[in-house]
Amino acid sequence: MTSYELNVNGTTYPIDAEPSRNLLSVIRDQVGLTGTKEGCDDCECGACMVLLDGQPVNSCSYLAAQAAEREVTTIEGIMTTEELAPIQQNMLDAGGVQCGFCTPGMIMSATALLARTPDPSEEEIKIGLSGNLCRCTGYAKIFDAIKETVVSL
Amino acid sequence: MTDIAPVPNPALPNPALPNPSAPGATRRFVRADGPDKVTGSGRYAADLQLSGMLHAKFRYADVAHGRITTLDTSAARAMPGVLSVLTHADVPDVRYSPGISDRTLFAKDVVRFEGEVVAAVAATTKEIAQAAVDAIVVEIEPLPVVNDAEEAMAADSPLVHTDWESYEADEAVVRSGNTVSFSSITHGDVEAGLSAADHVITSHHVADASHAAPIEPRAIVAQWEGQKVTVWTSSQVPFDARAGICQTLQLPTNRVRVIVPHLGGGFGGKCGFHFEAQIAALAKAAKRPVKLVFSRREEFLAPDRRREGMTVEITSGVKNDGSITARKARIVIDSGAYASDAAFFPQLAAMHVGGPYKVPNVEIEAHLMYTNHQPSGSVRAPTAPQACWALEAHTDQLADTLGIDPVQFRLQNCVTEGDTGIAGQVYGAIGLKECIEKAVAASDYGAELPDDEAVGVAVSWWPSFPGPSGAHVKIDDDGAGQIITGAQECGTGAVMTLRQLAADEVGLQPEDFEIIYQDTGVAPYDTGATGSQTLINNGRAVVRAARQIADELRKLAADHLEAAPGDIVLADGSAHVAGTPTKNVSIPELAGIAAGGELLAAHGSAPPLDYPTVAATCVGEQGVAGWVAPQFACHAVRVKVDAETGVARVMEISTAHDSGTILNLTGALGQVHGGVLMGIGQALTEVTRYSDEGLQMNAGMLEYKLQTAADAPPITTQFVEPGGEGAGPEGAKGLAEAPNVPTAAAIHNAITKVIGTPVNKLPMTAERIWEVQQ
Repeated sequence: MTSYELNVNGTTYPIDAEPSRNLLSVIRDQVGLTGTKEGCDDCECGACMVLLDGQPVNSCSYLAAQAAEREVTTIEGIMTTEELAPIQQNMLDAGGVQCGFCTPGMIMSATALLARTPDPSEEEIKIGLSGNLCRCTGYAKIFDAIKETVVSL
Repeated sequence: MTDIAPVPNPALPNPALPNPSAPGATRRFVRADGPDKVTGSGRYAADLQLSGMLHAKFRYADVAHGRITTLDTSAARAMPGVLSVLTHADVPDVRYSPGISDRTLFAKDVVRFEGEVVAAVAATTKEIAQAAVDAIVVEIEPLPVVNDAEEAMAADSPLVHTDWESYEADEAVVRSGNTVSFSSITHGDVEAGLSAADHVITSHHVADASHAAPIEPRAIVAQWEGQKVTVWTSSQVPFDARAGICQTLQLPTNRVRVIVPHLGGGFGGKCGFHFEAQIAALAKAAKRPVKLVFSRREEFLAPDRRREGMTVEITSGVKNDGSITARKARIVIDSGAYASDAAFFPQLAAMHVGGPYKVPNVEIEAHLMYTNHQPSGSVRAPTAPQACWALEAHTDQLADTLGIDPVQFRLQNCVTEGDTGIAGQVYGAIGLKECIEKAVAASDYGAELPDDEAVGVAVSWWPSFPGPSGAHVKIDDDGAGQIITGAQECGTGAVMTLRQLAADEVGLQPEDFEIIYQDTGVAPYDTGATGSQTLINNGRAVVRAARQIADELRKLAADHLEAAPGDIVLADGSAHVAGTPTKNVSIPELAGIAAGGELLAAHGSAPPLDYPTVAATCVGEQGVAGWVAPQFACHAVRVKVDAETGVARVMEISTAHDSGTILNLTGALGQVHGGVLMGIGQALTEVTRYSDEGLQMNAGMLEYKLQTAADAPPITTQFVEPGGEGAGPEGAKGLAEAPNVPTAAAIHNAITKVIGTPVNKLPMTAERIWEVQQ
């Protein structure tokens, strides 16, 4: 077991875990935030996407201990007020949410994309989301949600 | 991305549509479950934790076919932290499955596919559970592997089920040897029809198996309290899951409560009864709650819901005037090791290989075969995308032989109102012809394109499935409404649309209703998120219940306003006297009055619509030759093919759908877009490859290629609302499956135009396209 502190959404959590534990399992099982999903445990689906110092990472394939001393942001940390963040509201309004299982990861990737590319082209949106699989929407309405967010920001 | 709002054709009367401005074409749709899903606060089955909860792991066969000679669980049972270990010997000896009872919860003597569950363990941690299943000694004597459905038909093929005759089965299911189910559709005189033709064309097509691949791997939690068990499961069909638990563990329905938390997609892959009973049995034996969460690899290997592989041979006779005189076809479908729910697949596939065309003489036979593969089951429009892909490739060949433009050929031969279909059903007002015209007009069909690009066109159809369904609607003392429904939301938005239907009846807004759903303990029966049936069946139930509430509100308002109930209008949150809007009372006030007297609570259910009669002779009748409110579609797809590599890329898709009245445009577009992307995947990349030993070679997301955001082409969608008879409220038909049907076929026809030769294998991978070009 190793002990370290993990900063998730601005709160510091003391963690005791096997050094081999991935960030996803620590966030879900020890921190207790289940918005981050496990879809493949193989870095292929993006359902477990979180931000690490603002950079999107697949938390299934990132050692939790390596995230100590860094800022982890999960879907539960996206809202800065009581209101939904614009990307969250636009995902709903555009119809970018169906089963919702990919949605948290998708929103994290979209947030990272808009932070580094405030006015992305269609191609940049597609590449920015290409690590997040969605089986329901065909992606079209998720693209619309991002474009709408660009306009509203 | 252009989506064109549905415009009802003013030339066509629409008796099913009392108020053309009412449906969801323009209304903003807000998902009731939306905030849960965008904030991460919504709970899915894998997110649940209960006090004292144990973790389950399964031991699988890991070989495709063999006889168990040793099954020793003693080492696993002795491990610290292991609380229960189960095999077939520990549960009732019951065979289950709809149609044909060929399955047991745990392998009994023989294993028939690699993902068959041999034993299960519940332990205090996942790691201990895994160590314990690994410690179970399983020795299996190999039996010959039936690795191909065509080979399974051979007279000397080994039998997958040697004792198949002893299994209980529906009388209508025609079985023999490895044949799970046989169906044929015969109409007219096919030999005479072929003799009368100017050309007779035969083509052969092979479609590989693929997967539903929902992004959420399945998860189940079971907890006993006394003699009752509650099971939280990622099921599309909670009542089916309950029935499976009750049958296999021999419990009455009122001692089993199945609850589905938010469901992370299904696409048919989570239909049926899956593992809920094993987990309930583990929990009972351990006297603790037990949780199972599948890995992605397990999600690929173990469920009995793979999309079936299929071979199709079609012969058609055509005349020089462009008419089709006859169609003959033979279809062989790979059922895998067990029947699952697939007994009706042969008849359904036969309908799709016949197609939505005027063909007077038809003789189609379809064989569903046992093999030692993962079982096939209802994945989004089962059998249809593959069968449509084969038929529509064949249709382009017919047009090509005659020198007729393939779109013109389809317009000439497709069924329209008053026409007789391949099984002898006569159709009412349907929109197939208009779908073809609209989808093609919005595409680049006929435009000058680069040599490496072309537009392919395909048409398709799909039934609406009537079924029993119920719902409760109530309004409590503050005027807030609840819909308590047996329906299951798998993401489509169908259940979410119910509150719009209820709100319209009682004069409230959809947001005034909350939905209590997917809990067999509180709601009446519904078939579940299967067969595109939620809105057409549960929608009618909700409308019936809401109408009773509306009647009660009118009576209360009439008393209050000193008017006749028939003169009360419910709108915008209040009741008013017709023609005198100022004479009104709010619905919350009426609800408050009702709360002290007769409550505003109603139950609704509507008898399922009758299936139409068919004129064809159907051997192995499975009830899917006559279709209630058939849906139609046409997709026109522009594809670019790279000659060097064989890589095909979809550039643009134009779709037109007749799914009746569209009640929820946002939801409807989502179904089309998602179905199309799934269709592109099935066309180009999604395939399950089998080794010579009958084992899946690509059971992971890295090797099984879903379409990504980067692959997604622009999609144009038009809805045709022909005003015919719908199956659901306001003339609605189903929609969730139909968009998945014609995409691969249209892509095929575009590729053939570019490279000049058809690729008669599905998926049409770069390798296969490249090989055909050589």
